Amino acid sequence: MIQLRNIERTYKTGAGVTYVLRRINLDIREGEFVTVMGPSGSGKSTLMSIIGMLDDSWAGEYYLLEHAIHKLDRKKRSELNRKYIGFVFQSYHLLDNLTVYENLDVPLSYRNIPGRQRASMVAEILDRFQIVGKKDLYPNQLSGGQQQLVGVARAVVGNPKLILADEPTGNLHSSQAKEIMELFKKLNDQGATIIQVTHSEANAAYSDRTIQLFDGWIAKDPANPEASPVAAQSR
Amino acid sequence: METVLQDLRYGWRMLWKSPGSTVVAVITLALGIASTTAIFSVVDEVLLHSLPYPGSNQIVSVSQTFRSTGAGASASPANYLDWVAQNHVFSSMAASRGMQGNLTDGERPERVRFAMTSSNFFPLFGVDALLGRGLLPRDAKAGSEHVAVLSYGFWKRRFASDGKILGRNLTLNGEPYTVVGVMPANFAPDDYEELWLPSPWDVPPYPLAPQKDPRPLRDSSYFDVWARLKPGMTLEQARAEMDAIARRLEKQYPDADADVGISVVRMQDSLVKDIRPALFILLAAVVLVLLIGCGNVANLLLARATDRTKEVSIRTALGASRTRLVRQLLTESVLLALFAGVVGILLARWAVPALLALSPPDISNFSRVGLNPEVLGFSVLVSVVSGILFGLAPAFHASRPNLNDALKEGERGSTHARGGTRSALVVAEVGLSLLLLIGAGLMVKSFVRLMNVDPGFDPDHLLVFSIGLPPSSAPEQQDAFYQQVENRLQAVPGVQSVGAVSRLPLSGGNSDRTFKIPGSDKEYNADIRISTPGYFQAMGIPLLKGRNLTQQDRTGSTQVAVVNEALARSVFPGEDPIGKYISDFGPLNDKVQIVGVVGNVRHAGLEIMPRPEVYLALGQAHWPSIFMAVHCKTSDPLALTAAVQNAVWSVNQDVPLANLRTMQDVIANSVLRRKFTMLLLTIFAGLAMLLAAVGLYGLMSYMVSKRTHEIGIRMALGAQKADVLRLVVWQGMSLVALGLLMGVVVSAIASRLMSGLLFGVSATDPVVFGGIATLLAGVALAANYVPARRATKIDPMVALRYE
Repeated sequence: MIQLRNIERTYKTGAGVTYVLRRINLDIREGEFVTVMGPSGSGKSTLMSIIGMLDDSWAGEYYLLEHAIHKLDRKKRSELNRKYIGFVFQSYHLLDNLTVYENLDVPLSYRNIPGRQRASMVAEILDRFQIVGKKDLYPNQLSGGQQQLVGVARAVVGNPKLILADEPTGNLHSSQAKEIMELFKKLNDQGATIIQVTHSEANAAYSDRTIQLFDGWIAKDPANPEASPVAAQSR
Repeated sequence: METVLQDLRYGWRMLWKSPGSTVVAVITLALGIASTTAIFSVVDEVLLHSLPYPGSNQIVSVSQTFRSTGAGASASPANYLDWVAQNHVFSSMAASRGMQGNLTDGERPERVRFAMTSSNFFPLFGVDALLGRGLLPRDAKAGSEHVAVLSYGFWKRRFASDGKILGRNLTLNGEPYTVVGVMPANFAPDDYEELWLPSPWDVPPYPLAPQKDPRPLRDSSYFDVWARLKPGMTLEQARAEMDAIARRLEKQYPDADADVGISVVRMQDSLVKDIRPALFILLAAVVLVLLIGCGNVANLLLARATDRTKEVSIRTALGASRTRLVRQLLTESVLLALFAGVVGILLARWAVPALLALSPPDISNFSRVGLNPEVLGFSVLVSVVSGILFGLAPAFHASRPNLNDALKEGERGSTHARGGTRSALVVAEVGLSLLLLIGAGLMVKSFVRLMNVDPGFDPDHLLVFSIGLPPSSAPEQQDAFYQQVENRLQAVPGVQSVGAVSRLPLSGGNSDRTFKIPGSDKEYNADIRISTPGYFQAMGIPLLKGRNLTQQDRTGSTQVAVVNEALARSVFPGEDPIGKYISDFGPLNDKVQIVGVVGNVRHAGLEIMPRPEVYLALGQAHWPSIFMAVHCKTSDPLALTAAVQNAVWSVNQDVPLANLRTMQDVIANSVLRRKFTMLLLTIFAGLAMLLAAVGLYGLMSYMVSKRTHEIGIRMALGAQKADVLRLVVWQGMSLVALGLLMGVVVSAIASRLMSGLLFGVSATDPVVFGGIATLLAGVALAANYVPARRATKIDPMVALRYE
């Protein structure tokens, strides 16, 4: 489903160029549940932003399904983002001024789905996540776990093929985290491809495969043991 | 449509979320929109609306002008009749002459304004009477001319809108008139809008000889001429033909028509030509105020956009396109602007009557000035455009967040670019407000200079009014009456001195005549005044040479005149004019001997240089109505009103006193247009300065809040309060300095556009430029100081923990 070839991401600083990601080569199959781990600053979130097409300033080749993302302009990338991808963030990032219902409706409205169809999709997701009773509440009226539940619901409301979750349980206590991870597992079982960033070994255990990043290099990828010989040497 | 409604709903919620800044933004914009709406309501009615006559674009004002000087405004009967007979460009022409007369029905006599018209006057304007009829050709025949048509205002005021007014008799100037019609409210082609009467010879009679057939008169021009262009005829064609006619008449009548051209101007242009530049300046001023307001709100929204970086980033991550984000943010701005528009329109509802109360007659005569549908449409349009204008920069900035940073926990979006835009906006605001302030400063200085102009007489303690006997009275009878009134007034306790004159300075209206020096063919021109000997003393006009007019200068004695200094210098340069003669002066057959020279008087306006004047003695020359000037001992001349009225009525109780007021009032009225422009421009400039100061204050407060951490570190490293104060004030004042610099450059260019409105001051007056820039810098420093002082109170420990 995803093929990254020699992806590099740099930042210009006063002293020169700083590499955030270096020669990333990665393949992810459809229906896979992948975990990305690594210390702070290793480039995990940047990798997620590139896969999610929120970041355009990278070099290399990126294929998503049949699309060569590196050849597309911003507008096309936005369209693919809307079509295929759902995001879950560590700090939920619900829109404070919108109710639960409206938060779920927002991504659908950006896909130009007619109002009636949107209403039925939101109703279905409220029902599926058992948050019908919370639909008129604002984010600040929910607990952290409930907010992240809404965050996940929002990510999947548009039936994305790929869910990107950046430390989805980072702000939750363990029982809530477990609930969310089981939800991801269930979504994965239903066919969604999931890539999560996490520091938690327990969370990583839910996935099929764990990739380790270090200083921008892939230090370990079970599917591709030769992914980063340079990184291995540098260690 | 559905998503637009969604944007509106979210926009509404966002505005409610921060009521404080919403209210500030609404008030800021509402002030700008209200000012723009109020001024536009005047511009719309005065400059943009057609006059309320069918095909009003085809109606023109035709008048005689002197080709060499461009001066002149009226027409003579013989010329007018030739124009009518010889032209092929007008479908009709009409004449009217405004006069004053005594209406003696009712409890008290009243001096009313009426116009003597030619019979096609009403058909030319094409407006039907509200009641009865207008004047018809058959009314212009001797014996049938005692009919009158009333204006709507006069009918309402004097007759309480009596529906049975038709057929009623009025006594005007001692003669009976039958009311045959009442015109609708918007019929006012001239400012003599109380009554219209037919002219017995189908041209208005000559005021100095009302009983005589005026049609042969060619060298006395005294009435206004209106014409309607034939369908398809252009103004240029009309001008070309009338010019040809003027040249033909000049050849035919070289004595009367030498140098006489014909001016053809659209009626609307002739009505608004004096006020148009001022209105355009005011419109530009309010647009600048609105722009400054927009700048402030844009700054407010840019600050808000920074706080919303995360929200916008989430929306982007959820799939919002940039267009969609910009649309949503613009929807919020336009919504905000529409709120401001509603408040602005409510403010304008209050402001328009206040504006009209301040305005000169050129504007207040337009009775339909107000918030009509066009003006409201304009206000809504202005609101929407402002919303887009101030919302655009924040929307584009907000819709381009750095997603990586914004979505990371604890990260704060970069504010650098927004800081740049915000600073640029404040620089522009300071520059624009300086432009307005300099405009206002120049107008104020002009006004002060004007009010310091010596009018040539002493306006203090002076009460003035006009009176007149019916034109049918014999000239001797009129002279005797005025003399008697003067004597009775002189006897009123509290009166110092009294005089009478045919034309009072600064009261509008003038009369001039040509004359020659015996033995020379050269023709001169001077204003003619008929006065009593007491006039100069009552007005405080100094006698510079020779003697004053005396009671002995009467019919039968040598015809004498007192001239002003301007005439003495221009006609007798380096000579003593006393004892010299002038001849062929207007209606006088005899030579006139100059017996005295008096000081110049500013007659046509304080800003207009005095023209040559000749004062003839009342008794040796006659005038149909007269102004009395009563110099009182008291500083409040109006306190003598009743005594003065009784003194006049003790001579003739049928004679009303018109325009009774102090001479100070007369002066104030003469500068009303200038005062109106100055006052409004000052108000708008003050508003602009306030808005710019608020904008600067807002920016500096924001900058201080963004630099809290940095300032905390500086203080932890040993910076003193003075260092912090300097740091912040320096940052703000460098923006102000840049704004002032730009403002000075733009003002130096733009102020030339208003040089026509200035008096006694250059458009680049260094004192005004320097003074205003210093004033604005002072206000900006104060606006800067408050946030700077707040910065000095930052606790380094708190600031560092906060980060």
